This record gives sequence, structure tokens and C-alpha cells, in this order.
Amino acid sequence: MVAAQDGNGGAYKRLLADLAVWLHRYFSRRLPRAEVDDAVQEALLAVHRSRHTYDPRYPLLVWVSAIAKRKWVDQLRALEHRSADELTDTVATPDHEAAVIGASVLTSLLGELRPAQSQVIQLVKLEGYSLEEASSRTGQSIAAVKVNIHRGIARLRALIMGNTDVA
Amino acid sequence: MSHDRLISELSSHLTPVRRRNMAREAAWLVGLGALQLAVFLGSGLMRPDMGDAAGHPFMWWKLGGLALLVATSVLTAVRSFSPVASPRRGLVFLVIAAGLMAMLGAIVSPGGVVAPTLAGRLAPVHGLICAASIAVLALPMLGMLAYLMRKGASVHAESSALAVGMAGGSWGAFVFAFCCPVNDPLYILAWYSLGCAAVVLPARFILPKYAAL
Repeated sequence: MVAAQDGNGGAYKRLLADLAVWLHRYFSRRLPRAEVDDAVQEALLAVHRSRHTYDPRYPLLVWVSAIAKRKWVDQLRALEHRSADELTDTVATPDHEAAVIGASVLTSLLGELRPAQSQVIQLVKLEGYSLEEASSRTGQSIAAVKVNIHRGIARLRALIMGNTDVA
Repeated sequence: MSHDRLISELSSHLTPVRRRNMAREAAWLVGLGALQLAVFLGSGLMRPDMGDAAGHPFMWWKLGGLALLVATSVLTAVRSFSPVASPRRGLVFLVIAAGLMAMLGAIVSPGGVVAPTLAGRLAPVHGLICAASIAVLALPMLGMLAYLMRKGASVHAESSALAVGMAGGSWGAFVFAFCCPVNDPLYILAWYSLGCAAVVLPARFILPKYAAL
């Protein structure tokens, strides 16, 4: 801070970066998560504006924590005055109908396949397992996994094309 | 804005700052006070019987008590402009000092003729002029302290503002005491307190907004 008071921008940047970490920890313990970043930035600005008041005879952290405490109180006062949004019975939520229907149709289609085919399609295409992992989980060879996926998807395609309700 | 960006903006083009020095600020205040007192007394506003009054305990009580309040409140205010100093202890001492001054006022001899009735002792019209004069005389010191408070970084802005208001008010009363011809402690306590309050209350509510950290 003494170097910063003398105009050393590099030292000041390192100091502020360290202080940001410290302030983040300080406010995280005292404020709701959504308010922490604002409080950190407010405190950094206050440190910047009042850097000429730092007296090197005192520990830096005493000076910083006095400023941080003030900013904490300010933030609490702001929170107190901020009006809360009321929750009503008519809060809009996204429509899950399409996703639910899609999952139901897919389950019924997979039920039309041979178990060896539906099992590997479920593992590799829906749950994201690799061919090797699917092979070890099902006991099929990797080549058999590939073939079952290929044939299973072809069968699914045929089922969908033949059933207009699904589309 | 992210923390990194803010830090980069604050640290780029950083200019050296002059470190705050409490002794320098106190010297400015003493200089301003001396100048104001010199101008005030040089204008011929001192009470004509000051030579006689100066030897009387009443005058010592009045000037000594006000000087103590001025010194304590100025010191409290200037110290509180640093984030690491709390004005609380100074304010408590100020209240005790004011209380002691009031109690001493009850026993000190007025040293002159005192009106027999309460209304006569309080002399409301003259008293209001006294209170208004104190508020006006407080302005230079109040202005300088407000400037120093804004330049500083008080983290107890409300308490600092109280100390600043008290310093301004008691200084105005101290200067006015040199021209005030009334020797009645009741009058002094009532109207000087009102004059101080007229300075303290606006300072308490205005200064924290003006000098927010």
C-alpha cells in the first residue's frame, strides 16, 4: 500500500487482487451470495478512494477491515430498504409437456427393440457412455455394441416412419 | 464489471497521493480559528468590560468550559476521519464535559446583577440573537471540518458528523463569548446550547451524505 501511495500501479494491482480474495471471503460469511460481488467491488472502490488515509504505522488489515465493515453495514441497510418480490399463485413456469411426452414415446419405442439393442442405445446415445464402457457393462463385444446401436436406430426410424402418431 | 477489470482500471494511471497527516489538519484548524478570532476581536466586537470580566470566575468558567469543548470535539472529529479511529470515546467525553460545565454553572457566581424572574433571566429576544450569532460564527470552522471529513475516510460517518457539528457549534459559542455581555449561567446554558444545537443537528443529518466513504 505504501508503494501504491507513491504511485506504483503494479504493486497496487497485486494488492487489490489479494484484497479482492480476502474481501470475497469476508463478505461471503456475512451477506447473501447474490450481494457478495457488489460488496467486494464497493469495498475496492472505497479502498481506492481513501488510500491516502492509510497510515503505515498500523497493520493494513486493520485499515481494510474497518472499510469492509462499513461497506457491510451499508450493504445490509440497502438490503433492508430493497423491496422483496411477492410470490403469487400465477408465477409463470416453463411448459414441460413436450419433454414429458417425448420421454414417454422414447421409452415405448425402446421397448419395441431387442433388449441388447435398447440397452446399448440407452447407455451410449442417451446416457453418454463410451463404446468401451457400454461393452463392459453389457458384456457385448465392442463390435456387437456398434452393430446393435446401428440396427436399433434403423429399427427405431422404421417404427417412427410407420407410426404417424409419434411424429 | 468483473473484479479483474475493476482492479485493472483502478491500478492503471495510478497517481501518487499525499498521505493524510492529522497534525497538518489540526494546524489548518488552529490557523483558521486564530484568524477568525483576530478578525472578530479586531473589529471591535469584544465586550467593553472584558478587562474586569476576565478576572472573574464566571468568565473563566464560560471561556474555559467552551475551550475544553472545542478542543475535545475538534480532536475527536479530526481523529475520526481515519478509518481506524472511532469517535465514540471522544463523544462520551464530550457529553461528560458538557455535563460538568452545566453543573459548575449552577454553582459559579454570576458576578453581576441577575434578573429576578425566569423570563428576565432568559431574555428570549436577546437569547435568540445570541443563538443565531453562534450559528453564524460556527460556519468557517464547520466548513473547514466538513471539507476535511470529505477528504478523509470516516467509517463512522454519523458519529463523525456529530463531532464536527459539536466542534463548529462550540467554536462559534467560544468566539461569541468574547462579545456576549450577559453573565447569567442560566442564560448561557440555555441559549448557547440552542446555538450549538442549531449547528449540530444539520451537521448530523447532512454531512454523512456529503462525506460518504
